[in-house]
Amino acid sequence: MARILIVEDDDHIRSALRLMFEGEGFVVDDAPTGEVGVALFARMASDIAIVDVMLPGMTGFQTCEALRQASDLPIVIVSARDDTADVVLGLESGADDYVTKPFVPEELLARVKAHLRRRPEKSANPFRLGDLHVVPDEGIVRHHDGTELHLTSTEFRLLTDLASANGKVLSREDLLERVWGYDYFGDSRLVDVHIRRLRMKIEPDSASPMFLVTVRGAGYKLVL
Amino acid sequence: MRRRSLRLRLLVTFGLGAFVLSSMFASLTYFGVQRLLIANQQQTDLRQSYVNAALVRSTLYTSPPQLANLLASIQKATASFVLVQTHHQWLARSNPAATKDVSAAIIKLVNEGHATEQTLNINGEIIFVVGVPIPAVETQVFEVFRLNSLEHTLQILLFVLGAGALITSFIGMSGGLWVTRRAVRPLEEVSRAAAQIADGALTTRLAVTRADREVQQLGESFNEMVSQLVQRLERDARFASDVSHELRSPLTTLATTASVLQQHRPDLSPAGQESLDLLLADLSIFQSLVEDLLEMARSDAGAAPLVMETVRAIELLRQSVRSAAGHQALSEPTLEIEPGVDDPFVKVDRRRFERVITNLIDNAHRYADGAVALRVSRVGEQLAINVDDAGPGITPDEREQVFERFFRGRAANDRGIARGTGLGLALVRDHVRAFGGTITVATSPEGGARFQIVLPIVEGDPE
Repeated sequence: MARILIVEDDDHIRSALRLMFEGEGFVVDDAPTGEVGVALFARMASDIAIVDVMLPGMTGFQTCEALRQASDLPIVIVSARDDTADVVLGLESGADDYVTKPFVPEELLARVKAHLRRRPEKSANPFRLGDLHVVPDEGIVRHHDGTELHLTSTEFRLLTDLASANGKVLSREDLLERVWGYDYFGDSRLVDVHIRRLRMKIEPDSASPMFLVTVRGAGYKLVL
Repeated sequence: MRRRSLRLRLLVTFGLGAFVLSSMFASLTYFGVQRLLIANQQQTDLRQSYVNAALVRSTLYTSPPQLANLLASIQKATASFVLVQTHHQWLARSNPAATKDVSAAIIKLVNEGHATEQTLNINGEIIFVVGVPIPAVETQVFEVFRLNSLEHTLQILLFVLGAGALITSFIGMSGGLWVTRRAVRPLEEVSRAAAQIADGALTTRLAVTRADREVQQLGESFNEMVSQLVQRLERDARFASDVSHELRSPLTTLATTASVLQQHRPDLSPAGQESLDLLLADLSIFQSLVEDLLEMARSDAGAAPLVMETVRAIELLRQSVRSAAGHQALSEPTLEIEPGVDDPFVKVDRRRFERVITNLIDNAHRYADGAVALRVSRVGEQLAINVDDAGPGITPDEREQVFERFFRGRAANDRGIARGTGLGLALVRDHVRAFGGTITVATSPEGGARFQIVLPIVEGDPE
């Protein structure tokens, strides 16, 4: 049974979401503010979180950052606008995914389930990436000197999926399907922001990437 | 009819005006000076000839044989010819050729004892003839002056005045050019700015700092008008956006609660289930409407910036079709790519492009049992994407109107079509225009509607 944290200031929406997720068999913790949400998470350790961006006090972005520091659980933000700047800001603050209001409840449900369904691929072989050693089975990336590099589950999945393509180009849509597990709700910005974040962590110089390169008009590939 | 240019007219008026005025002035000067000079010269010559006549008389008294010598010395001194006649016989002539200039009329008058003068103009040469009688010796003295030196002076004067007139005309024309620039350029600037604003560049303003007072006023009122217009547009857009924003929270609750009810569907009575179906159906329309309104308000207000990317058109199209069909659980129309279309690049906002394809496929589904095919062809440097259906088509008089907001055509009224938002095609047109493309309606090969998007093909710079 999955445990979901819902941070939403609108009482009606919160209650409706609680009813819906409970109806789908989730255990729901809900919080009207970011502060309460972070406190709840500290005690309950949810499997996934839904965070509204427009919150009184601590903003949705700050809530995301706080949750992300504590855990690499999947976070879906609910944005009021789907302005690129807003969405990118949300994803930069650590969210894995976003929906915009008014969202279709089934879509939110499908996304949450997709995030919970995906697990790191156990069959992949360890590989090296410059100075880094990636062990997919253990979900670990180590530096040459043995220190661990922390990746969120989405970033890790992105990395291993690109690696398993053996140097072939994967389009944004391919990656959405493989990493996020959606067929249709694709938004290429999701991929772009996560690629950027992954580059910041694995590339020596993220402005001119050596490993994770963009193929203009086609997608991304990993140069091993 | 093409109107004549104000610039040209001003220029011609100024140039012609300056020319006419300066020519008039030059002519007046020339003729005035000419008269004055001739009159002066004649006065001098007249006096001279009386003196010469006195000399002739005294020579005739004292030593007549010296007469020829005297005439020669006079001719040398004054460049005039002296002819002396007595009893109708020429006594002496310093230049016999000048005899023809002395007319019979003047000879007759002088013979009768009148001192006479006559001005002749022979082939542009002005000749002044003076006849003086010397009754004491029954002799007549004629002196012929040629006003050659005067001629030369007048020629110089004519040249100077002509050159002056030309220079004045040029100066007038340059003045005209300057005035025209000064007067017409603000007009052109206003017209250019208005055109830019009409094209959507709402930040365009006129520069008013360096202008003349009248032009500055024009510029200020123009800028004020544009500001008011922009404010009004923004207010309208913000209102639409605010309304949609306010609708979102309750709508989200409604949709979520309805889906909770859907989870409990088996517990509901048949009447409850039917009500729920109606509720769900209308909720989804409501939701699409709010989404479309929001999207429209955003692009109207310029709140959502375009994220233009250079992409492979065919690949994006394939993904968009799959995504559009999948989203609505419709069957995927086939993608037919004409030979010769070899993987072109276009510059679009991916999200909006997908929206365009989704809306067109959705539209075909609503009115024509789905799109038959998406046909891609190349038209010069442009890519044509045709979304074809086999439905009833769109009559020519409705082909422009279908892109208007909330337009409902006859097709929608005739058949019990599932309600759309009335904004789908309007959004399509807005988006396609934002990509620098066009969208038109025609007839598909199947006899249904063909929505044709034409986008410029761009260079795909490999990264």
